[in-house]
Amino acid sequence: MSETTNDTIALGEAEVRARSAEPRPFWLWPLLPIGIAVIFVGTMVLNDVTAEIRVALVLAGIVGGYFGLDALCQRRWGSSFDTSAWLSGFWLVLIGLSAITVAWLPLQESKLVKNTIGDTPRLRPDLFSEHPLGTNSQALDILGGVMWGARTSLIISLGAVAIGLLIGGIIGIAAGYYRGPFDSGVGILADSLLAFPPLILLVAMATIFTQNQWTMALELSLLGIPTYIRLARANTLTFAQREFVLAAKSMGSGDRRVIFRELMPNVALPMVSYAFLVTAVLIVAEASLSFLGVGIQPPEPTWGNMIEAGQENYKDHPHLVFVPGIVMFMTVFALNRVGDKARERWDPREAQI
Amino acid sequence: MLRVIGLKLVRLVPVLFIVSAATSLLIELVPGDPILAIIGTEGHPEDYERIERELGLDQNVAARYLDWLGNIVQGDFGEQITRPGVTVADRLKQTFPVTIEIAMIGMGLALLISVPVGTWAAYRAGTRFDRFSSGSAFGIISIPSFLAGLLLVFLFVFNATIPRYGVLVLGLAWSIWLLWSAGREQRGGGGGVIVRIAAAVVVAGLTVWLTNKWPSFPRQGFVRWTSDEGRLENLRSAFLPAVTVALTEIAVFMRLLRGDVQATLQEDYILSARAKGMPPVRILARDALRPSSFSLITLAGVAFGRLIGGTVIVEAIFRLPGMGTLIVNDGVNTGDFPIVQGGVLILATFYVVLNGAIDVSYSYLDPRLRRGR
Repeated sequence: MSETTNDTIALGEAEVRARSAEPRPFWLWPLLPIGIAVIFVGTMVLNDVTAEIRVALVLAGIVGGYFGLDALCQRRWGSSFDTSAWLSGFWLVLIGLSAITVAWLPLQESKLVKNTIGDTPRLRPDLFSEHPLGTNSQALDILGGVMWGARTSLIISLGAVAIGLLIGGIIGIAAGYYRGPFDSGVGILADSLLAFPPLILLVAMATIFTQNQWTMALELSLLGIPTYIRLARANTLTFAQREFVLAAKSMGSGDRRVIFRELMPNVALPMVSYAFLVTAVLIVAEASLSFLGVGIQPPEPTWGNMIEAGQENYKDHPHLVFVPGIVMFMTVFALNRVGDKARERWDPREAQI
Repeated sequence: MLRVIGLKLVRLVPVLFIVSAATSLLIELVPGDPILAIIGTEGHPEDYERIERELGLDQNVAARYLDWLGNIVQGDFGEQITRPGVTVADRLKQTFPVTIEIAMIGMGLALLISVPVGTWAAYRAGTRFDRFSSGSAFGIISIPSFLAGLLLVFLFVFNATIPRYGVLVLGLAWSIWLLWSAGREQRGGGGGVIVRIAAAVVVAGLTVWLTNKWPSFPRQGFVRWTSDEGRLENLRSAFLPAVTVALTEIAVFMRLLRGDVQATLQEDYILSARAKGMPPVRILARDALRPSSFSLITLAGVAFGRLIGGTVIVEAIFRLPGMGTLIVNDGVNTGDFPIVQGGVLILATFYVVLNGAIDVSYSYLDPRLRRGR
C-alpha cells in the first residue's frame, strides 16, 4: 500500500506525484463485467428486495464498472487517457441526439393527459418494460418527458449562450479596446447587472413575458452577458498590446478592422471554451425557474417542472423527482467536465498557469 | 487607502441608482395589479380610481420612482400597498435576519469543512484521499441547489434511518481502520501508536453518541432565533437549508484551496520550514495557508453576496419566511412595488458593499497590489 510511505515524502514532491498520478492497475479490468452484472441483478433480478438495497447495488455496480473501464482504457490508450471526460462527452452526445430525434421516436405519451386516462400512474422504473423510467402522477411516460426536457433545456440554454456570446463579446471587446469612459460605463452597467439578485430578476422577467423557449433564452442570456463582457474585456486587454495589433494599426487599419479581423478571432476561442460552463449554469437556472413555477409550463415537460410536479409525493415515489434529477445532474456534470478540459486547452490565461 | 475607499463609494452610487431604476421599470411591466389585490373583483370603478389617486399610482413610472427615491434618501421605505399600514421597513426587518442567518451558517459550514479538507488534499496531492475529495467536489458542484435540497429532505427527514446508520457504519469502520493502522505501526516500529488508538476511541465514541442522539429535522418552517422555543429549535430548523446552500460553496472553496496550497507548497520557504523539522500540520496551518487566505477571502465574499441574493430557491423548498419569498410572493406576483424596490435595494447594496469591501481589503492586505495601484 502506498499510503504508508506518504509521510516520508517531501512536500515539494507532491506536485510531481499529482502530475504523474499512477495509472489504474490493469488487473482491475474484471470489475467492468462484474459491475455490469451487479447493475443487471440490482435492476432486473431482485424485484422483491427493498429499494435501498437495489439502489446501493446499482451504485456499487456503477463505481466498480467505472474502475474496470478506466483500467481497460488506460491500458489501451496510455495512462493520460481521461476516461471520465470521454464518458462525459459521450453522455452529451447522447443527450444531444435524443433532443434532436425525440420527435420521431416511438415513445409513450409524455405530454397530453387525455391520452393516458385509465393508465397506471406512478409506475416504478423498470427497464425493458413499456415505461423504462416509469410514469408520473398522471401516467405520463417519464423517459419521453426527460427526452423532451433535454430538447427544451438545450434549445433555451444554447440560445441564451449564443446571445450572450454575441452581445457580451462585442461589448467586452469594444470596452477593452477603446478603454477610457466607454470602458468605465460598461463596467458600471455590468456591475449593476451582477448586483441585481439573479433569480429575482428572472422571476420578474418571467411574469412579464409569456414563457416560451425563445423568451426564456432571451431572459437567461442576461445572466451570461456580464460574465462574457468581463471575459472578453480581459482577453482583449492582453491581445491589444500584442505586436500584430500594432502592425495592423501601422498599416493603416481602422478600429473596426482591428476589432473584427485581429482581435475577435483571438478572443473568440477562449470565450467559446467557456461556453460549456456557462451552458451548465444556464441549464440549472432554467430548471430553477421551472421549479419555482414560472418557467415553461406543463404540458410541455422540462426537467425543472417534472421535478416540481414530482416533489408533492416523492416521499413514497422518489423516482418522480430523482429520475429527471439524475439526468439533469449528469448533463450538468458532463458539461462542467468537458468545459474544464476545453478551458485548460483553449484559454491562454489558464494555460500559462 | 482612503482614496481607494472613496473611489469604491463613488462607484457604488451609480450602480445602486441603475439597479433601483431598473427595478421600477421592471415592476411597471409586471402584470400584477396591487389595487385589485386590495379591493378584490367586487369593487366599483370609482373605488379603484380613488385608491389609485391616494396611493399615487396614477402617476407615470418616472414620477413614482423619483418620489420613492426622495423618500429613500430620507430613510423611508414606504408602506406595503396590498397591506395598508404595514411598513416595508418592518417587513424587511422580519425577513432579512432569516436570510442572513441561513447564509451565515452556510458560509461557516462551508469554511469549516473546505479549509481542512482542501489543504490536506493539496498536501497529499495524487493520493486516494485527494482523488476522492476532488472528485466529490466536482460532483457536488454539478448538483443544482434545489435538487440538493430535495435530496437532503429525502435523506434527513423522510428516511432518517439511512444517514443515521450510514454514519454508524462509516464511523465504526473508520475507527477499526485506525486501530488496524496502529497495529501496523507497532509492528513496523513507527511512532504514533497511542495517538492512533486514542483517535480510534474518540471516533467510535463520537459515532455512537451521534447515532444515539440523532436529531430530527423539520420538513419546513422556521423557528426564530428570538422565539420562546429556544436557540436549539432555531438551529434545527436552519440546519438543512444552511447545508443546502453550503454544499456548492464547500466544493468551490475546496477546489480553490487545493490548487492554491499546492502551488504554495512548491515555495522555498516551505522547504526550509520542512528542513527545520517542523511537523506537516504546523507547516500547513502556519505557512502554507497564509498566502492562500487572500483568494479565499475574495471568493468567500463573492459567495456570501451570491448566497444572500440566491436564497429564493432554498426558501421555496423549506418554506422559509425570508427575503426571497417576500420579494417574489408579496412583491413581484402582486405588483407591490415598494416591497420589490426596498428588498432589491437592500440585497443589491449588500452585494455591492461586500464586494467593494473585499476589493479594498485585498489591496490593503497584499502589499504587492498596493504598490501596483
